[in-house]
Amino acid sequence: MALLEIKNLHAEIEGQEILKGINLTVNAGEVHAIMGPNGSGKSTLCHVLGGRDGYEVTKGTITFDGHDLLEMETEERAIAGMLLGFQHPVEIPGVKNIYLLKEALNAKREAQGLDEVDTFTFMKQVRELVASMDMDDAFLHRGVNAGFSGGEKKRNEILQMLLLEPKLALLDETDSGLDIDALKVVSEGINRMRGAERGIILVTHYQRLLNYVEPDFVHVLYKGKIIKSGDKSLAHRLEAEGYQEILEEAS
Amino acid sequence: MSRQGLPEWLSTALPDHAAAPQNLAQAARQQVETIGLPGLRDEEWRWTNLRPIHRGNFKTAQGASEAQPSEALPLENAIRLRFVDGALQSIPDDLPDGLTLVSLADADKATRTAAFSPTPTPNTDDPNDALVTLNTAMAHEGVVIDVAANSVIERPIVIEWLDGATDGAMSHPRVLIRLGQSAQASVIEQIESVGDQPSWRNSVMVSKIAANAALTHIALGLTGQARLTTERCFASLERDARYHSYNIQLGGQVTRREYDIQIDGTGAHSDLIGLMMPRGKQLMDTHTRIVHAAADTTSNEHYRTIADESGRGVFKGRILVERDSQRIQAFQASNNLLLSDTAEIDAKPELEIYADDVQCSHGATIGRLDEEALFYLRTRGVAAAEARGLLIAGFAQEVIDEIPNEALRGWLTERVQARLAQRPDATTGA
Repeated sequence: MALLEIKNLHAEIEGQEILKGINLTVNAGEVHAIMGPNGSGKSTLCHVLGGRDGYEVTKGTITFDGHDLLEMETEERAIAGMLLGFQHPVEIPGVKNIYLLKEALNAKREAQGLDEVDTFTFMKQVRELVASMDMDDAFLHRGVNAGFSGGEKKRNEILQMLLLEPKLALLDETDSGLDIDALKVVSEGINRMRGAERGIILVTHYQRLLNYVEPDFVHVLYKGKIIKSGDKSLAHRLEAEGYQEILEEAS
Repeated sequence: MSRQGLPEWLSTALPDHAAAPQNLAQAARQQVETIGLPGLRDEEWRWTNLRPIHRGNFKTAQGASEAQPSEALPLENAIRLRFVDGALQSIPDDLPDGLTLVSLADADKATRTAAFSPTPTPNTDDPNDALVTLNTAMAHEGVVIDVAANSVIERPIVIEWLDGATDGAMSHPRVLIRLGQSAQASVIEQIESVGDQPSWRNSVMVSKIAANAALTHIALGLTGQARLTTERCFASLERDARYHSYNIQLGGQVTRREYDIQIDGTGAHSDLIGLMMPRGKQLMDTHTRIVHAAADTTSNEHYRTIADESGRGVFKGRILVERDSQRIQAFQASNNLLLSDTAEIDAKPELEIYADDVQCSHGATIGRLDEEALFYLRTRGVAAAEARGLLIAGFAQEVIDEIPNEALRGWLTERVQARLAQRPDATTGA
């Protein structure tokens, strides 16, 4: 059974159709890259998968790990193992990072029938992850993403994923706006998440990320449809030739 | 339109003798008889209806009481001054060097004159200032806190206002705080109801902060469904003085607090930080006025209101920069959260700037919970109701985090979270 199966997905926002028949299958163990120019529907796809209000699915189905995803609340999707990495992680001053991490982990554990994590184990694990993401412990006691630089916010997204160990990590332009040092740290984090049990979807605007995280499949999204799929060589072609060539070829 | 004068029950309660020097008290009696209580037509009172006081028929309570606060604040070695319905219970002994506490009634005439001569000076003809005038006419109890020059009082001075021990009690206490040059002290007001019947306390606190001295002033309005409080805090700052004020309001039926800050000396700084959380039918109102009367002075103001159910919050912040006060920095932010359709918040900044070299900024926002933040938390598996609770608590926490006392911060955090846990859509398992 596929981990994620999207069939003929149509979705609109404020009456305007953005996704126009997406088909995508992701199995555990696979890394998929979805690339596309601005306005192709990349973020809409992420928001629909995350269950954001205001996005209406008009046609099609999404099955996640055997569940009808469209019947699930946002938090239920997270607890079932789908984690969304934000293009623009939200600043939540006043809610400490450490508190959110613990709440999120315990929400997942509760759904699995496990006890709340004990503080000692939790702190040890979190501190190791913080160090691995080249971050400072002090960040744990700051507000979620509050006053963070772009790079710090994206590192924080990966840190949450490493802690919460989702079945499917959906990363919406996690590489956008990162300088090379931050990109390397973020990529290393993504590579550490790779595994036979986990699917990863990298939604990206730039081919550069794929130099550090090698995808198994590359899809080109254009005007709300996946117009071409291939292996990593497709990403290199996009980089070398630009979208235009491939768009023409596909049409 | 002619003014009504005082309600009869209040007029007949005016005493012949008060703690203020005779000439001041007498003049105040005559003034207040004429101008009466402030009403909605008075500019500074247009959002705050004092009808419960007009109709109150409150009486000055007599005698001591065994009343206790709901909980002791987590402050070690605190020096506690307990007022029950405005009556000072006792003056603690074993005071640290440099600190003198005197009951207002026992203070000498010069001290009492100082207590009734605040800076900035209220206008006894102005109905907006009528409650100060009424306090001058009626005050017979209070305390004088004197900190000698160069004395740093580490132990916090807690003033417990326990209101409503007698049903329908009214009080008009007056507090004078004087910090000598380079002195330092913290005064914490713990404001509680000890009964469930209406009470009214109309306090005035006058702080005079000498050069290079620093006063931390924390007010915690905690319990009380039927408590009416009208409080006015004056602070005058000499050169390089600092006044740090924190105003946390959780309880009470009507709470009106006013801060009048006169920054008279160059290099002086004032912080006015506050959090108001009206719910039910509570009204919480803070008016602040800061006068930058000297060059190179700074002020920082940060107020937040979280209004739930049919609660009402009012914040009005005035900043006046006088003509010769150059190189001023004055910041004011008022951020407000409406949690229900029947809650109401009025926020009004008011800047008057007559100097030209001034950095002044103000911003007032009134909003609902951030949908984007809510979505973010839910994508992490936090249930919707809990996510809302986290965001509300986080909004409050940013104010609490500014309080310069770790134990008090932790205590208040718990208190606020417990209060939010009582919301209908709150989860209990947080």
